[in-house]
Amino acid sequence: MRRDWRGVVLTALERKRMVEARQKNSSFWRLIHLLGSLQLALILLATIAIACAAATVAESEFSTKVAQVYIYKAPWFLIWLGVLCINLFAVTITRWPWEKKHTGFIVTHYGIITLLFGAIVGLQTGFEGNVTLHKDKPPVRKITINRSIIQVESPNDTALYVMPFDAASARPSEKRPRVFEVPASDLKIVADAVSENLLKEEKLLPSESGAPGVMLRLTSPRMGQTVNMPLVLEGEAPTEKDFFGLAKILLQSELPPPSPKKDADTQVVFGRFAPVVQDNGPSTGVKVLLSEDGKKVTIISPDATSATYLRADLMKSPLQAGGVTITIEEYWPDFEMREGRPSTKSDLPNNPAALVRIQAAAGDSKPALVMVADVDGIRYQLLRGGTSQAAGKAKVGDSFSLGWADWQLEVIATYPKAAIVTEVKPGPVLPAGESGIPGFRARLVSPSIADAPQRWVPSGDITALTDGRNVVRIGYGLELRPIPFTLKLVDFEVPRYEGTETPSNFIATLEFKDNATGEVKAGTARMNHPASFPGTFFANFTGINYKFSQAEWNPRDLGETTLQVLYDPGWILKWSGSLAICIGIAIMFYFKPKTGNA
Amino acid sequence: MTPLRPLFLLAVALLTISQAQAIDVTSMERVPVQEGGRKKPFIVFADEALMSISGKSQFTKEGTKISSTVAISSLWLTPRGWENQPLILIGNKKFKTQIGLDPATKLFSYRDLSGNEPLRAALQEVSALRAKNPKVKLDPLQREASTIGMRLAVFEGLVSGRGIMVLPTGAAAWSPLDAEDPALLKIREGFLSGDQAAYDAGLELLRNEQSRENPRFQADPSKIAIEVFYQKLHPFRWAWILYLFSGMSLLLLAGGRIGYALGWGFALSGFLMQIAGFVFRILISGRAPVTNMYESVVWVAFGTILFALIFEAIYRSRYFLLGAVPVAVTSLILADTQTVILDRSIHPLVPVLSDNFWLTTHVLTITLSYAAFALALGVGHIILGKSIFGTKASPALHNYLYRTLQVGVLLLAIGTILGGVWANYSWGRFWDWDPKETWALIALLGYLFVLHGRIAGKWGGFGLAVGAVLAFQCIIMAWYGVNFVLGVGLHSYGFGAGGFPTAVGFVLSEFVIVLIAVLRHRGIKAARSSANA
Repeated sequence: MRRDWRGVVLTALERKRMVEARQKNSSFWRLIHLLGSLQLALILLATIAIACAAATVAESEFSTKVAQVYIYKAPWFLIWLGVLCINLFAVTITRWPWEKKHTGFIVTHYGIITLLFGAIVGLQTGFEGNVTLHKDKPPVRKITINRSIIQVESPNDTALYVMPFDAASARPSEKRPRVFEVPASDLKIVADAVSENLLKEEKLLPSESGAPGVMLRLTSPRMGQTVNMPLVLEGEAPTEKDFFGLAKILLQSELPPPSPKKDADTQVVFGRFAPVVQDNGPSTGVKVLLSEDGKKVTIISPDATSATYLRADLMKSPLQAGGVTITIEEYWPDFEMREGRPSTKSDLPNNPAALVRIQAAAGDSKPALVMVADVDGIRYQLLRGGTSQAAGKAKVGDSFSLGWADWQLEVIATYPKAAIVTEVKPGPVLPAGESGIPGFRARLVSPSIADAPQRWVPSGDITALTDGRNVVRIGYGLELRPIPFTLKLVDFEVPRYEGTETPSNFIATLEFKDNATGEVKAGTARMNHPASFPGTFFANFTGINYKFSQAEWNPRDLGETTLQVLYDPGWILKWSGSLAICIGIAIMFYFKPKTGNA
Repeated sequence: MTPLRPLFLLAVALLTISQAQAIDVTSMERVPVQEGGRKKPFIVFADEALMSISGKSQFTKEGTKISSTVAISSLWLTPRGWENQPLILIGNKKFKTQIGLDPATKLFSYRDLSGNEPLRAALQEVSALRAKNPKVKLDPLQREASTIGMRLAVFEGLVSGRGIMVLPTGAAAWSPLDAEDPALLKIREGFLSGDQAAYDAGLELLRNEQSRENPRFQADPSKIAIEVFYQKLHPFRWAWILYLFSGMSLLLLAGGRIGYALGWGFALSGFLMQIAGFVFRILISGRAPVTNMYESVVWVAFGTILFALIFEAIYRSRYFLLGAVPVAVTSLILADTQTVILDRSIHPLVPVLSDNFWLTTHVLTITLSYAAFALALGVGHIILGKSIFGTKASPALHNYLYRTLQVGVLLLAIGTILGGVWANYSWGRFWDWDPKETWALIALLGYLFVLHGRIAGKWGGFGLAVGAVLAFQCIIMAWYGVNFVLGVGLHSYGFGAGGFPTAVGFVLSEFVIVLIAVLRHRGIKAARSSANA
C-alpha cells in the first residue's frame, strides 16, 4: 500500500489499471504516454550522443565552424533538443498522480528542462563577446559579439541598417542567393557566393590626383614567401608600413642624414677602478658604476639623473632607461686577466668587475628601410638600432638584400602620381585549423539595371556596391554592441613561474564607469576570478551581470589583454537546473523509499 | 660571454674521463636545482633530464647500467666523450628514414645528429613555421623534429652546464655555476678521480654557496627531502604489486576465508601505498594530484580500488575486488612503464588550472566517475567472462554492476556540471560544445541509454554488462581520445601524443570480448529454451 502526494492510497496493481484505462479512454493521455515513452527517450539519447560524437570528429577534421553549422547550432539539432524537453516533461506527467517515490525522478527531469530553458533564455536575452583592452588607450564603450552582421547604408537617408547575417553558415550560392532589401529604397543586395579566405591585393596604379608612389616586392626564398607592397606618400609625414612585426618600411620625401654606425657600448666597469670602454664611435653618454662590494649598480644618464639597482637583478633582466637598454652580461667578483681572458681569482668581492652592454634606444631597435621615390627607382637607407647600416640606389627591376633574415627587395614600379587600389579576391581553400578573412560576393540590383558588377565583401571592412547609378555602402563583420558603462584597463600583470617565461596568472585591473550615474568602480579579472559589473550579490546570483574573464594576452605587448564578456540572464535557471539534476539523481539512487508489497 | 664557454669545455676535456668509479652520489641527489618553474632535488632533475633526452630513466654505458643521477652528473662534470654516446632518442621511424638514419636504431649520439643536414633543415622549417604563427599545428614529423630539437638543447644545456641552475642569485631566477666555481671544480675533481672525500667536500662548498643568498630565494630543505624520499620510494609501483597479490589471493584461494582476508589485506596495503604517494605529491606540488594524464591514470586506479573496497565492505562478495584489481593493476603498470607518454614529472600548472577549489571539485569528481565506470567495466568483464565460460551470473552480481553504474552516473553528472560552472568563471561561458565537455556528455548519455534500456526492459543484467563495457569506450574517448587523438579544444593543457595503437587495440579487444560473450549468451539461451521445450 502506497500513498501519493494527496494521501490517496493506490496499490501498484490499481495504478497499472488506472494508467491503462486512461490511455484507452482519452487521446490526450495516449499522446502524453507516446511523447513520454521510453522508446522515444532511448532514440533521443542515442541520436544526440551520436550527433555530438560526429561533431567532435568534424571539429577535429575540419573546423569548429563546421561542427557548429551542421550540428551544434543547426536547426534540426535544436529542434531535437526541444523534442527532448517534451519527452522529459511528458514522462513526468505519465507518472501522475505522483507519489513520494517519484521525487528524485521528477526533480532530475525538471532539472534538465530548467537547464535547457536557461540556455534558451541565455541565448535570447544574453550575449557572449570579447573586448580587447590596452593600458594606453581610452576607455571602451562597445563589445565585440560573436555574431556576424551586415550594416547597410541606405542612399536615401543617412541611417545605418543592421541585419544579422553570417555568410559562413548561411552559405549563399548562385542557385540559392540571399537577398537583402536596402531600406528606404527599391534596391536589393544579392549575395551569391562565400569564401573563407578572401585575399586583399593592393595595386599601385597611376592616378592624376595621386601622390608619389612605389611598388615593392619582398621575397624570402627560405620561407617561400612573396609580399607585394605598394606605398604612396601623401602629405609631408612619412608613410610607414609594418613588415610582419619584423621591421618597418618608410616612404619619405627626403632621406635622413646618414647617422654614423653605432651598435652599442661595451664597457668593463670595476668597483674600484675606472671603466674600460671599447672604443667604437660616439658613446651613448650613459655611465655605469659598480659598488665596491659588487652588489649594486648605479646608472647615470646623460642628463645626470642617476638610479641604483641590485646587480643580480640587472643580470636577469636588461634595464631600459633613458632611451637605452643596459645589460650586465658577466660578473667577476675578483677580476683578473688569466691567459688573456677575464676570469675571477676567487668568489670574494676583492676586485668586482662587470661587463656592461649599453644598447641604443629600444624603441628604434627594429630594423627599418627608409626610401625616397625617384623617376626611375628609389634611393634608400637601411637602418638598425637607429643608425644607418647601408645606403644606395635601386632602379625599377633592381633587387637587393635587406639583411632581415633572407628577405630580398625588388622595385617593381615608381610613379610620380599614383594611388593604391584594393582588389578583393577569394584565395585557395585553407587547410584545417587555419583561418583567413571570410566574406561573400554581392551585387546591387535595382528594378531598372539588372547587370551590376559583382564585388567581394570582406569581413571587417566597408565595401561600396554600385549598379552604375546608385552607391550603397555595406559593412560586414562581427557585431559591436554598446554597453551601459565604459571600461578601462588600468593595469595588466603577467606573473611568471620562477626562472621561466611561463605565465602563472594574468591579472587585469579594470575601471568601470556607469554611463547613467557616472559612478566609478574598480575591478580585477584574474584567471578563474572574473571581474563583473555591477557585480552586486543579486547581479552575480541571477547572471544579470557583465562578467569579464581573462581570455587572451599578447606576449609582444604586455599592455594589452583580451577579455571574454558574458551577460547571461539565463544563469539562475542554468545553475538551479544543474543543482536539481544532481540532487534528483542522488535521491533517485540513494533515497528511494523501500518498495512495499509491489 | 658565451663564446668563452667552448674553451672552458675544451679545458675540461683535457682531463679525460676514465671515470665511473663507484662514487656514492647520495649527497648529490639532494642538491636543489631550479628547473621548469620550480626547485627540485638533483635526483628528480636528473631523472627528468635523462627521460626527456633518452626516454629512459637509466643509461646503459658500455654494457653497465648507470643511474640517471650518475649519468647526468657525468654529462655535467665530464662532458667529453658524451657526444659519441648513443643517448638521444628518436622514436618516429618515418622521421629517421627522412633524415637518413637507421630506422631500427632508437638512440643516437649528439655527434650523429648535430652534423645531420636534413635534421637541421627540418628544425629550421619548424622554427620558421613557429615564427610565422606561434600557435601553428605541426604534423607528426614536424612535431618529432621539434622534440628532437628540444632533446638536443637539453643535451647542450647539460654539457655546457648552462642548463643546471643551482645558484640562488638574490632574485626569483637562479643561475648556473660559473665554469671556474671552486665548488664545481672540487666536485669534478672528486668525481673524476673517484675521491669520495673531495666530491663530498665540493658539494659542501656548493651548499655553502647556496645558503649565502636571502633565504626566501633558497629551496625549502624539507620539501627537497620529501621529494627525494618520494622519488626513491616508488609508492605507485608498490601499489600495483600489492594489488596483483590481492587479485591472486582472491583467485587462487577462491571461496576460502583466508583467500578473501588476504585479498583484502593486500588491496588495503596497496591502497595505503597510493594514499602515501598522493600525500607526497600534494606536499611537493601543493595541489590536487590530477593535473595530467599520468596523475589521472594513477588516480583512477585509486578510485577503482576505493569504490571496490567500499562495496566489499557493504556486500562482502569478492567480485568488486576481482573486478577492480585488473583495471587498477593495468593502469598502474601503464603509468609505471609508459613514461614517455605518461609524464610523471611535476610541472607548474597553466594559469587556468591553478585554482585549487575548482581543480579539486571538478577534476576529482570527473576522474572518480571514470573510476566507478572502470569498476563497472571490471564487474562487467566478470559477467561476460561467466557467459563465455558457460556459467550464468547471479542476480546479485547484476545488482552489483547496477550499483557501480549508479555511482558513476551520479559523479559524472555532478562533475560535468561543475565543469560548466567552472567554465562560466574561467572561460566566460557555461557550455560551448568544447570537445572535452561534449565527450563527457556523450559518455553520460551512453550510460543513461544503458540504464534507461534496462528500465524499459529492452535488456536484462547481461545487457547491462555489455552496456557497461561498451559505454566505457566513451570514457576512453573522453579521457584519452580528446587529448591524444582529436587534439582540439580548450582543454589543450592536457594534450599529448602516443599510445594510439595500444588504445585502439584495447577498444577493439573489448568489442571482440563483447561479441564472443553475446554469441555464447545467445547460444546458451537457445540451448536452454530448446531443453525446456
